Order: sequence, then C-alpha cells, then structure tokens
Amino acid sequence: MPQAFDAQNPPFDRLSHDQISQLRAALDIGYFRPGEAIIEQGQRSENLHIVIKGSVEERDGEKIEAVLGPKDTFDSRSLVHGPAGTSFVAADETLCYLVPKALVLELIAKNTGFAAFFYSEISRKLRSYGTGREDGGVDTTLRARVRDARYHPAVFVDGATTIKQAGRVMREHNNNTLLIREGNGIGIITGTDLAKRIVLEGHTLSTKIRDVCHFDVVSINIDDFIFDAVIAMTHNNKRRLAIESNGQYVGVLEDIDILGLVAGNPQLIPGQIERAHSIDDLILSTSDIQSQVERLHRQGARVEVIAEITSDLNRRLFAKVFNLTASPAIREAGCLMVMGSEGRGEQTVRTDQDNGILLSRPVPEEELQAFRDGFTHALETFGFPPCPGNVMVRNPQWSQPIDNFLRQLKSWIITPTDDSPMYLGIFFDAVSVTGPSELLDRAKSAMIELMHGEGAYLSRFARAIDQFEGASAGVFTSIMASVGVGSDEIDVKKTGTFPIVHGIRTFAIDVGLKEVSTVKRIEALAANGNLGAEMARDLVGALSYFMEIRLGSQLRAMKTGKRELEAIVRLNELSTRDRDLLRDALRVVKRFREVVRSRYHLTVF
Amino acid sequence: MRKELFRRLRAAFDRLLLADNAYAFLFKPDDSGEVVSLDCETSGFNILADDVVSIAAIKIRGKRILTSECYRALVRPGAAMDVSAIKVHQLREKDVAQGRTISEVLPELLHFIGSRPLVGYWISFDVRMLNKYLYSLLNIHLPNRQIDVSELYYERKYGNAPPGTAINLSYAAILADLKLPLLPQHDAFNDALSAAQMYLVLQDMQQRGARIPRPPRGEEPASERFMTTG
Repeated sequence: MPQAFDAQNPPFDRLSHDQISQLRAALDIGYFRPGEAIIEQGQRSENLHIVIKGSVEERDGEKIEAVLGPKDTFDSRSLVHGPAGTSFVAADETLCYLVPKALVLELIAKNTGFAAFFYSEISRKLRSYGTGREDGGVDTTLRARVRDARYHPAVFVDGATTIKQAGRVMREHNNNTLLIREGNGIGIITGTDLAKRIVLEGHTLSTKIRDVCHFDVVSINIDDFIFDAVIAMTHNNKRRLAIESNGQYVGVLEDIDILGLVAGNPQLIPGQIERAHSIDDLILSTSDIQSQVERLHRQGARVEVIAEITSDLNRRLFAKVFNLTASPAIREAGCLMVMGSEGRGEQTVRTDQDNGILLSRPVPEEELQAFRDGFTHALETFGFPPCPGNVMVRNPQWSQPIDNFLRQLKSWIITPTDDSPMYLGIFFDAVSVTGPSELLDRAKSAMIELMHGEGAYLSRFARAIDQFEGASAGVFTSIMASVGVGSDEIDVKKTGTFPIVHGIRTFAIDVGLKEVSTVKRIEALAANGNLGAEMARDLVGALSYFMEIRLGSQLRAMKTGKRELEAIVRLNELSTRDRDLLRDALRVVKRFREVVRSRYHLTVF
Repeated sequence: MRKELFRRLRAAFDRLLLADNAYAFLFKPDDSGEVVSLDCETSGFNILADDVVSIAAIKIRGKRILTSECYRALVRPGAAMDVSAIKVHQLREKDVAQGRTISEVLPELLHFIGSRPLVGYWISFDVRMLNKYLYSLLNIHLPNRQIDVSELYYERKYGNAPPGTAINLSYAAILADLKLPLLPQHDAFNDALSAAQMYLVLQDMQQRGARIPRPPRGEEPASERFMTTG
C-alpha cells in the first residue's frame, strides 16, 4: 500500500478517504522497458495506469498523438469503453502504478465525480467537472467584508427637515437613502418611503421627516462579514442596514449592493453609455466593461455568459460612438456592423477591431472621411487595437455604398486572392449594430446565393482550416520539448477555436444559415441533420472549453501587458484535469477537421 | 563469485544444522520466479548491539512490484533504542512499543520470503541484522541469494570506468540517475519500494545492455570524488 501514491492528483482527488485507502491497498507497480507496448491498439487493458516515472507515447499507427509523463493516467477509455483506439508505448524506462480494472469499475459506480473522468464525451465531462474553480463564486463573496461592497455613503439630515427638502437632498447626493438625526437616535428613510407617505398616506410636502421615517434602524460594523449582513437583513426583515465604524454611521448597505458584489454591476453600464455626451465620457464605461469580465470570470460565471454580456455592452458602446462621430447623412444611410468574433458574440476581452459600415446611398466624401477617422480613432482610444487585416471602418473597402460592396463581395468569391477567404469569413459573421439592418441582410443573402452548394468556391474557402495544421493532439507532446523546443506551449486560438469556427462557418454558408454565433450554427446544423448529434455536442463542449481556457490566459496576458501571448496556454501550468480536457478537446478538433476535409474534398489539393 | 560460493557452502552446512525442520522450505531451490525486496529499519548501525525495529518486504514477480501483497511489521526491540537512530528514521520508542517481538515476526517473514532471492540497497547489512536473530532461533543464516542494487548500479555505471574515476553509490545518486521519485526515506516500506524500483530498472538495463552515462572526467561534482576505482 504505497503511501507515496499521490491522491491529490485528479481524478483521485475526488475519492473519499476510504476509497483512497481501498485504492492504495490494491495498487501494484509495473515496469516497462523502452519501446514496450503497454497497451496495444485494439486491446482492452486490465489496469488503469498512472505514470510514476518515464514517459509513454500514445500512438495512432505510426503517428504520435501525445506523450504522457508522471502523474498522467491512461487509458481510461479502453478500460470502460472497449478496445483501445490508440496504443500506449513506453518511451523510456517507465514505472506505472497499476489499478486493477475491477476496482476502477467499482469506484466508478460509487463515485460520480470520479466516474466523470471516464466519460468519453467532452461535453459530459465538462458538465460534471463544473467550472471547478476553487476561488471566486458566491462563497467568497459572503466571506468578503462590508467595507468591500459598493455601499452608499451616509447622508444625514435633521429630523425637522421637510419631505420636500429631503427629496432635494437625495437628488443632490444621488443617494436614495437618508439617515435622520433625532435626539440621540437615528432614523432612516428612502425615496420610495417619501413617495408612499404622500401618495398613500396623505402627508404633504411640508411634513417633518421625523414624523414619517423609521427609527428601528439595524446597523452593522464595517468590518463584519457580508454573510453577517445577509443574516441581519433576513432576521430583521430589512433591505437596508446602517454601516457603523468607530461609533459613527458611515454608510448604508442595501441588499442590491450585495448582489453587486456577486455579479458585478453590468446592469449599470448601459445607463452610463446612454448618458455619455462625448467620447471622453465613454472611456470610463469601456474600462468598466473590462473589469466586469474579470469579476465575472473570477466569480465562476460560465464563459458563454461572460461573452454574451460583453458583446451586448460592446455593441451599445459602438452604437453610441457611431452616433457621436457620424454626420446626420451617414447616420441615416449607414448600417454599422461588427464582424468576426465580435459579430459571433464570442468575444470576452477587447481584441482587434473588426467593423464596417454599409451605406444605402453615397454620402459626401469629406463627411465619410471624417467619420472613418473619428470612429476608428475613438475605439483605439478605448483600447481596441486596430485590425491587422485592416477590416475596419477606416478602410474604404469596409465603408462604402452597398452596391459597390456587393461587387467587391462577388470578386472575392469568383476571383479570390490570398486574403479573400479571410474577408469572406469575417464578413459572414457580421451583425448589424445600428442603422438599416436590411442592408446587411441583402449583402449576406447575395453571398450565400453565390456560394451555397458551390463545391469549388466552398472548398477554396474551407481550405483555411488547414492553415495551422500539424496542430493535432500531437502538439501536446513533449517530444519537441525534449529536443529543446518549447512546444509545451499551445496556441488555443489557432489549434482549437479557429478550425471549429471556420469549419462550422463553411457549413453555414453551404446550407445558407442565418445564425451567427458558432454554437447556434452548430445547433442548427445538427437540427437539419447536416452534422451528427454527437459531433455537435462534442464541438460545443470543446469550443466552450477553448474559450474558457483562453479567457484565463487573456486576462493573464493583460496583466503582464504581453498581448501577443494572449492565446498561448502553457501545458506545464495546467492541472492534470485541464490537460486531460484539453487533450479531449483537441481530439474533437481533429475529428472535425477530417469531416470538413472529406466533405469539401480538401485532400485533393 | 567467491561470495556466491561461500553462500552456497554455508547454506549447505546450515541445512544440516537447521534446528527446526518446519523451516526446511528455506533451503528448497527457488522456483517461484519471484524476488523479494527487503528493508529493515534498525535502532542503530552496530549489528551486535542494535535491534531491528521495523521490517518491510515486497514481492516482485516478473516486471511487476506486488505492493498489493506486501509484508510489514513493527518490532519491539529487546534493547533500548539508540537516540541517534531515532533521529534517522523517526520511529520513536513509543511507536515501536506497539510492535511485536522479533521471535513472533521472524517466522512470518520467513514464510513470506521463502527461498526467493532478496533485493535491497546494501542488502548484506539487513541480512546480517536478521541473521543475528535467526541464528539464535534456528541455528542458521539466511541462505537466500542476495542482490544488492548498489552493485547492479555500480556495474551499469562504473563497470567499464577507467581507473581513478570518482564513484558515488549513494542512495540519492542512484535515484537521481534512474530518475526515480524520492519517497520519504527511512521508512522500511518506502525504502523497500525504492529498492524494488531500482532493481527493475537496473535489471532491464542490464538485459538491454544500456549503460548509465558518466560525466566527463574532472567534471564530477566535488562530493562524488570521495571514492575512486583502483
């Protein structure tokens, strides 16, 4: 019973104390010489292997799919789901713990968290693991202190103040709650209370506030925990607490402030954007959107939710910038669109601008030029870097009357240059932000009409999927690392997200889908029978995982100021669980690539 | 070679002198195909004066370490424990007091190991320690063949070394060269397990003719120059 066996290592961290003892008692250790097949392709394994030392190559025929090292576990699939699809070969002198199959099956039956590791579908695995971040979430919020909440500072009035004066004070201080000094006690009143007194109880504007306020004020110390505040509120049936510090009342904590601590305050940003009168006013909002992302991520919100909130806020921001920078003629004729990932709503942190405008009729050239510069410059000020492919309003190609744009579109399809597939792809993901959206519909319909069912155009378009090839699950490998190349880094955008997004985009054009987000497209394709249900589920799961893991490295990249590393994930910084999921997700990409290749005959090229 | 001859000769004598015929199995030729990795923690390093305080033995069948069927025992020593040894393996007298006497433990251990070859790091020390009791119990010495992993290591690393090469046969050096994990040491089970792992790797290297690379002359860490080949 090797005590040295590390039970903290996933999936074993999910086992109960007794189950770990049971596991330890049953362990043996096996030695495998270099080149020895530990599990042959097509065989079933009698043991689950956990590498102690050495390395093990996972091979598909001659091709090396992955290299496993200490603490990695294999082959969960063949243990549960039948013969191994790949073979496992010792790369050097290798020692593995051997867990008997019967015990693994018994533990799977007893412990669902442990069982999740053996699910073959990545989507099921992800669900069962949950977001699994230890820090963040409601728990830590409740353990925050009252001083951490965005509470309202205390505003005091005298008991002799009239209702009318109190209303004024509330407006001046932009504060809905007042504290009332009366003798040695304090009272509290809110804007709603004032209104109720007058409308429902027949008081007049000159009624003294001491006659209508509540004197049963419940207070809490500024250093108390938020959960104390929650208990005090529930216990006393109050929605507001007076905050006390060193014998002074310093503020008022509302129940809504606690909500803000959990979820941030995304609901406040649209109002800010709405009220802005100049580009400068908007700068604060853009940084708020950004900190929103961080907060939501820290608190364990699912990445899809973060992306949805962010893209909604960004679109409001773009619309406002458009209204501030465009002349009346442009505002009337122009349909502002965002494209690429911004259009698909898969954006979480600010990345390159991908935007354009379609005009229903020509507008004066000086006005258009002023708008092009003004709009693009404003977004740059906010920290949206310019698009390297120059897909933005500033570029006349992306800000022209619709008829010219349609000709442009046609030439990209029929006489493509190297960049054409990229332009088409970005445009196909466009959504209209403001202005006459039928312009965008017309352009998209024209594009679909030209391309859908056209094998030659489609396969030229689909070919971009191989752009970053070689990035199969093999990138995982430390093979390169062993010869000194740092391939323990993996670009999830290129090797994970892009092939899925682009492959799905190709299908969407092929069958003429109007949906824009990749997940919606996948669902529509599955519903129409263009894509197998299992493949669809796996793709959604994999995509979500890539976004999740990428958001983490994006936030890190922003902190360190190294934007170029934003899509890079370092394998040695991942937990075993994350590596396992990443490997599964990359396998899904590989399978999908094959589907796209054979559908569009890419192997012929 | 001379050592092996001596062992066989002594085993032949011991067979005749064996006090209790129930233990004749110790002298039967071994046909199990297994070896046993053995480690004793002792109360000190003086074989005559000190006592065994814990024993662990793990069978190795083919290329598999059968940790799931190992033997472990704590032994209550006759003599008081040497304080310096407590510092080494942190078994306090209190812990050991829960153990049984060596005369209870030894028969179990003998049945567990049978006539299988014994594997260990400096295994001769452990065997001599056990022989002290065995001699008074059954009038014999352990007849089992002994495989010392430090000798296997020496042969793989320094077997072809030119004279004057610095030699380091320390436990840590073996673990490092074989890239084995360092387990919490001075626990009989962990030490037996490490020795078993060393044995499997070294034995396989021997079969494949693979050698452990030596640093070029003069570049050895200074600490490794304390011994040299003659």
